[in-house]
Amino acid sequence: MASDVVIETRALSKVYRDFWGRPKVQALNALDLEVRQGEIFGLLGPNGSGKTTTIKLILGLLFPTSGQALTLGRDATEVSKNERIGYLPEESYLYRFLNAEETLDFYGRLFDIPADVRKARVQTLIEEVGLGWAKRRQLKEYSKGMTRRIGLAQARINDPDLIVLDEPTTGLDPIGVREMKDMILALKDAGKTVLMCSHLLADVQDICDRIAILHQGELKELGRVDHLLRVAEETQIRAAGLNEECQQEIRDVIARHQGELLSMENPTTTLEDLFLSIVRDSEARPGRRASVESETSNEESETA
Amino acid sequence: MVIETDLLTFFEWLLVGGSDRLPAVLQFLLTAGSLILLALVIGFLAAMVRHGPLVAGDLTYGVVRNAIGELFVLSPRRIWAMARLAIQESLRRRVLVVLAVFVVVLLFAGWFLDNQTHEPVKLYVSFVMTAATYLTLLLAIFLSAFSLPNDFKNRTIYTIVTKPVRSGEIVLGRILGFSAIGTVLLAIMGLASYVFVVRAVSHRHTIVAEENLTSLAINHRHTVQIGPDGAKQTSTEMGHWHPIDSQEKNTEAPQELFRARVPHYGKLRFKGPTGADKARGISVGNEWGYRSYIEGGTEAAAVWTFTGVTADKFPDGLPVELNIRVFRTYKGNIEKGILGSIFLRNPKTGLRSDIETFEARDFHIDSRFLPRKLPRLRKDQQDAGDSEMVDLFDDLVDDQGRVEVWIQCLPRAQYFGAAQADCYLQATDDRFDWNFMKGYLGIWTQMLLVTAFGVMFSTFLSGPVALAATTGALVIGFFADFTTSVATGELEGGGPIESLIRLVTQKNVTSELEQNVATAIVQSIDAVLMIVMQSVTHVLPDFRSFSNVAWVAHGFSIPTDLVCQNLVAALAYVFGVFVGGYFFLRIREVAK
Ligand SMILES: Nc1ncnc2c1ncn2[C@@H]1O[C@H](COP(=O)(O)OP(=O)(O)O)[C@@H](O)[C@H]1O
Ligand SMILES: [Mg+2]
Repeated sequence: MASDVVIETRALSKVYRDFWGRPKVQALNALDLEVRQGEIFGLLGPNGSGKTTTIKLILGLLFPTSGQALTLGRDATEVSKNERIGYLPEESYLYRFLNAEETLDFYGRLFDIPADVRKARVQTLIEEVGLGWAKRRQLKEYSKGMTRRIGLAQARINDPDLIVLDEPTTGLDPIGVREMKDMILALKDAGKTVLMCSHLLADVQDICDRIAILHQGELKELGRVDHLLRVAEETQIRAAGLNEECQQEIRDVIARHQGELLSMENPTTTLEDLFLSIVRDSEARPGRRASVESETSNEESETA
Repeated sequence: MVIETDLLTFFEWLLVGGSDRLPAVLQFLLTAGSLILLALVIGFLAAMVRHGPLVAGDLTYGVVRNAIGELFVLSPRRIWAMARLAIQESLRRRVLVVLAVFVVVLLFAGWFLDNQTHEPVKLYVSFVMTAATYLTLLLAIFLSAFSLPNDFKNRTIYTIVTKPVRSGEIVLGRILGFSAIGTVLLAIMGLASYVFVVRAVSHRHTIVAEENLTSLAINHRHTVQIGPDGAKQTSTEMGHWHPIDSQEKNTEAPQELFRARVPHYGKLRFKGPTGADKARGISVGNEWGYRSYIEGGTEAAAVWTFTGVTADKFPDGLPVELNIRVFRTYKGNIEKGILGSIFLRNPKTGLRSDIETFEARDFHIDSRFLPRKLPRLRKDQQDAGDSEMVDLFDDLVDDQGRVEVWIQCLPRAQYFGAAQADCYLQATDDRFDWNFMKGYLGIWTQMLLVTAFGVMFSTFLSGPVALAATTGALVIGFFADFTTSVATGELEGGGPIESLIRLVTQKNVTSELEQNVATAIVQSIDAVLMIVMQSVTHVLPDFRSFSNVAWVAHGFSIPTDLVCQNLVAALAYVFGVFVGGYFFLRIREVAK
């Protein structure tokens, strides 16, 4: 079990301080997470909820105020872990005076990759992210979506086992979003682990295996997406070809616990509903783990 | 060429040290050791305030353990990648414009440099080299101080430090990349300025036959004479002469215009006022001084022993250059120098020549030529009834090729100051172009140092502040002597705050301040500040000592020992700065 935990945080907290060392923002409060080998894990939360902070802590870009982050089994501040990590920052922070090829070549040189493999990989990645037509242009001429794509290529230059994506779909056109999702799923199929964060529910709902919902730096919900969205106390029945009497009858039948059930299942809420209810609940009763009905299913997923 | 510090051989410098300095290795270890210790203590205390002693100890230990692993296991591939990035960045920032600026400076120089000078080579060389120094250092400061801060500002650093790059490699890559740019620029500037100097100063005259004179060129003319080999040549003016072509219409290119003299140094010892041997002369108060002094009107003497004096090397006699410092206990005629005497002596037989007198002036180099035949001392003549002359090689140089040069001060109660490098024989010339290159190597070392400091400061300061800090380091380094004399209290007027008060209250620097509590407080704050200043100057490089421009300009070959010392010292600084930069970058929260 322990070996397939890729990222682990223990009571991870971060307080941003001002110049004089006075606490300014409690950006993250005692976060416990585990991301496992081969899954797509989503961090979900409204703006300013601490998603980026979590990612930076996991990558060692920030030092925790207390607690610990272990990435690939090593302390997050250790440099050697980076050999197997790819990171796409919130915005693509790349050298604007380099062109696409030079960018990927530069980042490739930072890894222990033979020169010919590196060169081949630069070309395939440029094609995969669809920038073949602009590979000789300096990044300062790129549009936001194009920088996003080259940023993604940069994150994959070392064929990493763990990819960390901060808001991967922002700035992309709908086709780009679709391609990005497909690519993330393809990475999963190739056995990679993906940690992504987003405030876009649709992204997360479509591709994530498990999610954690953050709000104001606190973990509000954690579990498998399909379990989180199941409403346990309700049953939904769908049937076709019944007349009025028959429907009445069914009601009777159901009242008597008899009859043929055409379909009977738990209805699913949308992630949007879940998310909004968590945020509302959290704002009404701050500081508590949201008491959503899915505690049990959550545990199920934990043991599954 | 007036030298103000000991000229040590490389190994003496490295392992033995000079009159007022420790061996370089020891100096390095002491400085590095105390800096590391200081950093550890400060780091530990800072961590203790926040996390308590146990965690702090743990953290400090972790940093040190990591550092040992990361500082010495560097990947050349990644360093090269970072260096390439720095080079690309510089090129895209259009640094090559500096070359255009340099060309403009050269054009200007050709136009406005004063042609009245008697030493055109000195003027042109020092001008172009100083211009090259300032341009290169300015560029080095700007490139190095803004690069990393820009990475932080644009957050490109996020994508770097999440790759397996060690902090040390980031620092080293920057230093290497910017130095590479500086190297290329300096090479081009060096070539351009060499061509410029040679073309600006080289000249020919035409012969004005009826007057036996040459035409005017760069403000001088020569007379026509018969040279030692019987052919016609011009007289020596402004340090050079010309052969005359066969038609006797024009002169050829100037000879001995571009010089790189290699002085032949001797070993200095002293004689006390009674004529007894002494290790050092008298100190006249400045204990930091590198010269020691001999008293006038006594037997006291400064004696240089030269070895390897052979007839092959000096066929016509000994060209001696003297640069004697004078210390007057009474003023005398200030217009005139102090009279001294010089004679040669055979260290084995004790036979000596009669004295010649000279006037010693501060900062003045007295060149004299002692021919092969010298007058014998009158006393000896009577004793032996020998000829009136002694021969340099038959009588004064002993069988091992050694000869002594004795200098004495004639007037009573005046003093001569002398150090080993103050008297030398003028033997051979080195190649001027080679010396010119060594001069540029000096600029290169300065450029390397500035780049390294700039990168180090930029690991924890923002661009403009790093710029200011680097400039500050440069200035403190340039005025190292001044800071030392303030710090040692040698200079009147007190420390920084006291002199500020004097400035504001318009008090003379020598007048006593009123003795009260305030003065005491100011002076004790100053005392602390001065300790800080002195330690700072000890840690920062003395940039002037890395400059070899004066040697080239004065036409002296830069000693290879000095070049090696400067290179090694610079590399030691770069190493120290690299370690510092590593730590600052490593303990910095990148995403803050
Ligand atoms: N460098 C910083 N200094 C101070 N506060 C910060 C800094 N970065 C983020 N914060 C604060 O921390 C909280 C979490 O930010 P962040 O992790 O960026 O949120 P998210 O990525 O979920 O939108 C926010 O309140 C934000 O204002
Ligand atoms: Mg964010």
